[in-house]
Amino acid sequence: MWLIFKKEFKELLRDRKTIIFMIVLPLLLFPLIFGVAMFFMNSAAEKAENVVLKYAIVGEQYAPEMSQQFANETDKFTMVDIQGDADYAKLIKDETLDFVLVIPETFNNEVLTSGQHKLQLYLNDAGLNKVLGRVSEIVDVYTDEFQKTAFANLGLNESQQQALLAPIVIEKENIADDREVWGERLGGLLPYFIFILCLQGAMAPASDLGAGEKERGTLETLLISPMERYKLVLGKFFTIGVAGLITALITVSSMAIWGIVLSQGLAIEFVAEVMAMIGIIDFVLIFLMLIPVVAIFAAVLLSLSIYARSFKEAQSYMGALVMVVVFPVLIAMMPGVKLEGGWIWVPLTNVALAMKELFKGTMDYFALFGIFTSTAAIAVALIAFCVFWFNKEKVLFR
Amino acid sequence: MIEISSLAKRFEVENPKKLSEQEKKDPRLKGRYFQSVKDVSFSCGQGEVLGLLGPNGAGKTTTLRMLSTALKPDSGTVVIDGEDVLANPIIARKKIGFLSSSTGLYGRLTGRENIAYFGELHGITKSIISARIEEMADLLDMQSFLDRRAENFSSGMKQKTAIARAVIHEPSLVVLDEPTTGLDIMATSTVMDFIQRLKDKGTPVIFSTHHLDEVQMLCDRVTVINQGESVFNDSLAAFSALSDGQMHKSFLHTLKMNTAEVGQCG
Repeated sequence: MWLIFKKEFKELLRDRKTIIFMIVLPLLLFPLIFGVAMFFMNSAAEKAENVVLKYAIVGEQYAPEMSQQFANETDKFTMVDIQGDADYAKLIKDETLDFVLVIPETFNNEVLTSGQHKLQLYLNDAGLNKVLGRVSEIVDVYTDEFQKTAFANLGLNESQQQALLAPIVIEKENIADDREVWGERLGGLLPYFIFILCLQGAMAPASDLGAGEKERGTLETLLISPMERYKLVLGKFFTIGVAGLITALITVSSMAIWGIVLSQGLAIEFVAEVMAMIGIIDFVLIFLMLIPVVAIFAAVLLSLSIYARSFKEAQSYMGALVMVVVFPVLIAMMPGVKLEGGWIWVPLTNVALAMKELFKGTMDYFALFGIFTSTAAIAVALIAFCVFWFNKEKVLFR
Repeated sequence: MIEISSLAKRFEVENPKKLSEQEKKDPRLKGRYFQSVKDVSFSCGQGEVLGLLGPNGAGKTTTLRMLSTALKPDSGTVVIDGEDVLANPIIARKKIGFLSSSTGLYGRLTGRENIAYFGELHGITKSIISARIEEMADLLDMQSFLDRRAENFSSGMKQKTAIARAVIHEPSLVVLDEPTTGLDIMATSTVMDFIQRLKDKGTPVIFSTHHLDEVQMLCDRVTVINQGESVFNDSLAAFSALSDGQMHKSFLHTLKMNTAEVGQCG
């Protein structure tokens, strides 16, 4: 068995594709995802805020001061002349305008007598230009002014004004500490990435070790060697498993290392906060829980691979497996699903939930018994199935 | 010495609807099952070379897979040097050197590593493996590519490496499935010389082929399989005598066909 493992691993390390999935991808994925996402979010927001909006005001004579303010802010707005009866929607759709503001003729009347003023804003809200926000910046000044005038006319003091504006206020007293808040937000998402990476890391060698043997024509020669079948299977299983574990180890280490780099080296505050809350033991526990998870992946992948007639067929089966793996992780993300009761015994979902609890700092360590027992039991059953599968001529010589 | 008697093997057809019209007409197809091998018997003694002939789909590869233990027969026996292959497959495997028709190698391993791996699977020590690899590399003219990765080998290089791998454990029986298919004249000649050398050493060799000149050159015995049954099993001389030394006519004779019928088959 060791002999099989040694040879398979040597071949694995000589395969560029496997190295990419096993080492490079998990090492770079997290900083890449966060980096790219932050870069695009920032640049999109910056672009949206800086773009000069083309506008038209209908009824500007009713609010000359406000209209003048739009005209003054030339770095933000540029006016386009239109006819009063123009088709606003068409002008916005063909990008002649970004928005049209229609001011009612009653705009200058006192609000207590005329009632609420309704300004109509025509815009394409599917865009990213923050039109409403930027228009509101100017309009809100008048809203405050109108409010003050109305309150003054009513003779209300400041406290009465506040009570009128917001008669009921909910004051939130959050008892969750920061770790729990961040854990809930990040902890649900991380198992998703980690599981997929471990699966990807194990997929490339699995395709090669089963279907690849068939396609190359080496399987037959291997089957007639004096090595017992179960040893052949275990040798291959451990190779795939170790590949998955290396991916898991690199993924978890990468999370920790990049966390330290981002929090200390680049002084990113929110990462620093998260990193300060998570201890090395949490990372070790995450890695330990991934061992039986990877064993499950390795056994299923090897079974699929040996069943497939070719590399291509194996990869199509494995593609479908990704969906199957994502499902229990999605369950763990659902509201109300917690690491308690029956969920402790549901493989994969329990590990995903446990990761979330570890991040939140609310882990019930007794649950680890259920997690390891159920996941390991499934893994052993799947390995046994793999051995059985490897003894079936119908599977080997399809 | 190997003795094979009344071997039979059938396979379940995964999707009978997908079979071609010709396959559906094959009398060996019974419902969901295809009787690949019905009744095959032959023997090959010490120092003998047996040529296994038959049209495509006759059951040659299935027969060779059964005697090499890759497939388990439904019935029949295979005995190698007194050892029942079915009862003790692991022991039998140590006695057999098998070269499949695909000659697959591990592309990311060198030729030397490919051969050594199978030597280790047979439990041979590293020093003996090294010595045997050197010996075979000289015999098969492999020194120039032995330490190169197999993924870039020509078909001749692959075949030589696969042969060396098949015999690294010095088996008492060598089974070769179409060993010269797809090879150029030089590589074919090397393979032929190697079989001759095995024969000279007294190792029984069974090889399947479509090349009757190879049979004429090397074989002592001939077995013809047709429709899953051994229809001829005798000496080369007896085979040749079927049609006054014209090998291809002898072959057709065993199939109970004439030249016109062969054209229809094609």
